Amino acid sequence: MTLLALDWFLLIEKLILIAIVITASLVIAMYATYAERKVAAVMQDRIGPNRAGPFGLLQPLADGLKLFFKEEIIPDSSNRFLFILGPCLAMLTAMMTCAVVPWGSSVEIAGRTIQLQIADINIGILYVFGVVSLGVYGIMIGGWASNNKFSLMAALRGASQVISYELAMGISLIALLMLTGSLSIKTIVEQQVGHVWNIVYQPVGFLIFFVCAMAECNRAPFDLPEAESELNMGYHQEYSSMKLGFYLFSEYINMFISSAIMASLYFGGYDVPFLGHAHLAPNLLAIIGVVAFLVKIFIFIFVFMWIRWTLPRFRYDQLMNLGWKALIPLALANMLVTAVVILLRG
Amino acid sequence: MGITTILFWFLSALALLSAIMVLASKNPIHSILWLIAVFFAISGHYILLNAQFLAIVNLIVYAGAIMVLFLFVIMLMNLNSHTEPQKNIWMKLAGVISGGILFTILISVIRSSADMVNRTAQLKEGNIGLINTLGKVLFSDYVIPFEISSVLFLSAMVGAVVIGKKN
Amino acid sequence: MNAIILSAVLGVVMMFSSVFVKNKSALKHIAAAGLLVLLIANIADTYGCSLFKIDLHNMLRFDKFGLFFNTIGIGATLIYVVLSGRDIEKSGNYVAEYFALIFFVLCGLTLLTSFGNLLMLFIGIEILSIPLYILTGSDKRNLKSNEAAIKYFLMGSFSTGIMLMGIALIYGGTGSFQLEVVRSVFASYKGVSFLEIAGLLFLLVAMAFKVSAAPFHFWTPDVYDGAPSVFTSFMATVVKAAAFVAFIRLFDARVTETSAAVDWKMLFSILIISTLLIGNITAVFQQSVKRMLAYSSIAQAGFMLFALFSLNDMAKEGLLLYAAAYSLATIGIFAILIKMKDVSFEGYNGLAKTQPLLAATNTIFLLSLAGIPLTAGFFAKYYMLASVIKTGSYTWLVIFAVLFAAVSAYYYFRVIQAMYFKNGEAQTDTITPGFKAGMVIVAAIIVIVGILPQTILNWFYF
Repeated sequence: MTLLALDWFLLIEKLILIAIVITASLVIAMYATYAERKVAAVMQDRIGPNRAGPFGLLQPLADGLKLFFKEEIIPDSSNRFLFILGPCLAMLTAMMTCAVVPWGSSVEIAGRTIQLQIADINIGILYVFGVVSLGVYGIMIGGWASNNKFSLMAALRGASQVISYELAMGISLIALLMLTGSLSIKTIVEQQVGHVWNIVYQPVGFLIFFVCAMAECNRAPFDLPEAESELNMGYHQEYSSMKLGFYLFSEYINMFISSAIMASLYFGGYDVPFLGHAHLAPNLLAIIGVVAFLVKIFIFIFVFMWIRWTLPRFRYDQLMNLGWKALIPLALANMLVTAVVILLRG
Repeated sequence: MGITTILFWFLSALALLSAIMVLASKNPIHSILWLIAVFFAISGHYILLNAQFLAIVNLIVYAGAIMVLFLFVIMLMNLNSHTEPQKNIWMKLAGVISGGILFTILISVIRSSADMVNRTAQLKEGNIGLINTLGKVLFSDYVIPFEISSVLFLSAMVGAVVIGKKN
Repeated sequence: MNAIILSAVLGVVMMFSSVFVKNKSALKHIAAAGLLVLLIANIADTYGCSLFKIDLHNMLRFDKFGLFFNTIGIGATLIYVVLSGRDIEKSGNYVAEYFALIFFVLCGLTLLTSFGNLLMLFIGIEILSIPLYILTGSDKRNLKSNEAAIKYFLMGSFSTGIMLMGIALIYGGTGSFQLEVVRSVFASYKGVSFLEIAGLLFLLVAMAFKVSAAPFHFWTPDVYDGAPSVFTSFMATVVKAAAFVAFIRLFDARVTETSAAVDWKMLFSILIISTLLIGNITAVFQQSVKRMLAYSSIAQAGFMLFALFSLNDMAKEGLLLYAAAYSLATIGIFAILIKMKDVSFEGYNGLAKTQPLLAATNTIFLLSLAGIPLTAGFFAKYYMLASVIKTGSYTWLVIFAVLFAAVSAYYYFRVIQAMYFKNGEAQTDTITPGFKAGMVIVAAIIVIVGILPQTILNWFYF
């Protein structure tokens, strides 16, 4: 009967939290597509979507419905199982990262303290890394199973890009970890609450992390896997219907999650400066924290879009040169300087 | 049967099944995907041993980096079940026999060795695989192998550059 | 410790010297100077002058035997670089990197002569091997070199895998990576279980692979043949001897004599017999001198395995002597082989007329390998066989070995016959006076050691 000796309340609590986080991620990703089009429109002096609903707010729903009702095509010569597995993996790995992001401090409901984080594991950052490094498989498997040379080339590009930038990302994070001394994202956020944010100590590290995050999400100017001028449409060109939707969606979710990670690691997470001095109810404080966190995330998402609609795409060799010859040495130097400073300050 | 025991058997079965499928698959891509499944199962075992750090590093390094490179090579060389070389039946037989002998010996070794009986792995409470412990051990007792291995990586990197660079 | 750290540092220095030094031949001089520094530092270490004070945690244990072997290995490498440095320059565009890799190999060597922990054994073997895979494949345009590199790499990885499995089993049985702990478990009759013995057998297989003992020798001829000759020379001598030292450090007498479940002596004698048999018999049928040398190196490994068989002090002395004699002679033979235009037996026809000095020194090296008296090789073989007789059993093994030494004389003399008694015009590259002087010095060392073997062994005791 040990099987049933679980903390059922904890289980239910976590399940509710998971449901909320996933729904929120999906909705935010959905509206990120809308935001993207609006931002693009503003940058290009257009109006953008404005027909479906007030200000075109129902546009993402219409897009989603359209994808659902489209004809589902699986190419004859493709590998059927892997063809379906590809987009599923992309979506899965995009969603999995949510588990370790601390969305807020804790709230108290009916005498129970509920942590606003699905799982505080002591190696949270490594978990994020693990999931990100698995994210490649969605692209690679999908691209290969399509049995189309453009898809394959795009998949290989995407994978090598992700691997290359993961290195610089990891090294830039090591410098941060030297300061925090913990791999748990919750602890890192807690350290920043009421103190100086990590961005002050690690500006270079943040910059590298930001560039790498952009590359990991395959966002412009790093969207080489989808370079339509060279590869038709990229790794998902054989896909249609909701499987295509999954790929497109996972990109937005990735953007959302990486914004959340950056906000947690470098910008204090759910910390609101100087709010600790105000005497407010803990629950209210937690809710303000969650809102502040979301605001930070939205700012990052906006910056992502801003960059996308401003900068042209890199050439492939430029991309590799930037990754290997600029970012990695820079990240190493940053790590070294950080280590020396820590050593000297004792 | 506690939940840990059930998980242990499940993961073991998964690991063995996947490992057999790695060998049995005709298509090299499928072999690699099964191998990734093996790594996941082994990481699961690490988690059961309360070694989360090892578990996740196992995933990052093997599933996330090395296997991607495997996929790269196989996709670029366009290997599939048609290009798989047909092996001689006698070769296969010889492989099965010698592998089987090794397997039997290892099983008998483990069965007969006195110190393996009545010993179980530390489930859940062991802390040897936690990052704190590991870091301390790595930088105190094992600092010499740790530092010396940098020579190994350096030589491998020099080698990769020498081999990979265009003349 | 001096040699380990300095060789790694010098490797890095060599790596960076390619950025600052554009003149290729200067690199050779830098490398030779570095080796000289390394040699001096190691000798200083032998006499108690260590530059680095490090808490070793028993990971490394420095003893006279290991440090003395370092001296031999580094010295042989120095001679190798002096003799063949010019040919290393010719072998590709990345000369500085090749030298750097050679220094890294030396780092691996110094680890293998002093490991006190199975982890260090593993790291040492890997540091020794990985640069060699690269050097084997350094002739990138040559398909044979590529094939050899891939073959060596795959086989080497497999053997490393087997080694790790063995280490894991031993760890499972004894609960420790420390060599001392493992030995004491083996030394107590009751403590040792099949788990440790199986682990040790795995290690035996892996190490036999590294020293190319039969039946784990299949990679050797192809790799030695396919690799550029300059690097074959290094691989077949210094590296092989280093693997032997690691082998003998691992299989201490306490490990093999007391674990009664396995008849280790029998196991080693099977290894020795098959190695001698396959190495010698196959060498007889070769048409290329380079390939013959590959098989002869297997045969020589058979002789060095005697040190493992008898595992007494005499065996250790003998191994040192053997490593020195074999390395010097083989480096010399390869140095000449690299200069030859045609490396088949016919290519040596009439060398005595075109290059009498080279033919004469080559003769001395070959005689030493064959174990003819008045050369270092004779005393090396003598010590090995005497150590077996000292153990008191398996005397028939000695008779067997002598028989095969006679067989080996056949194929070594074929080269001498070609040089002196066959008509032909042996084509060589230009031979500089410096090269000739070097060859004479190496030959002189071999003869001096052959006449007075105590000169080397006395150093060992002081």
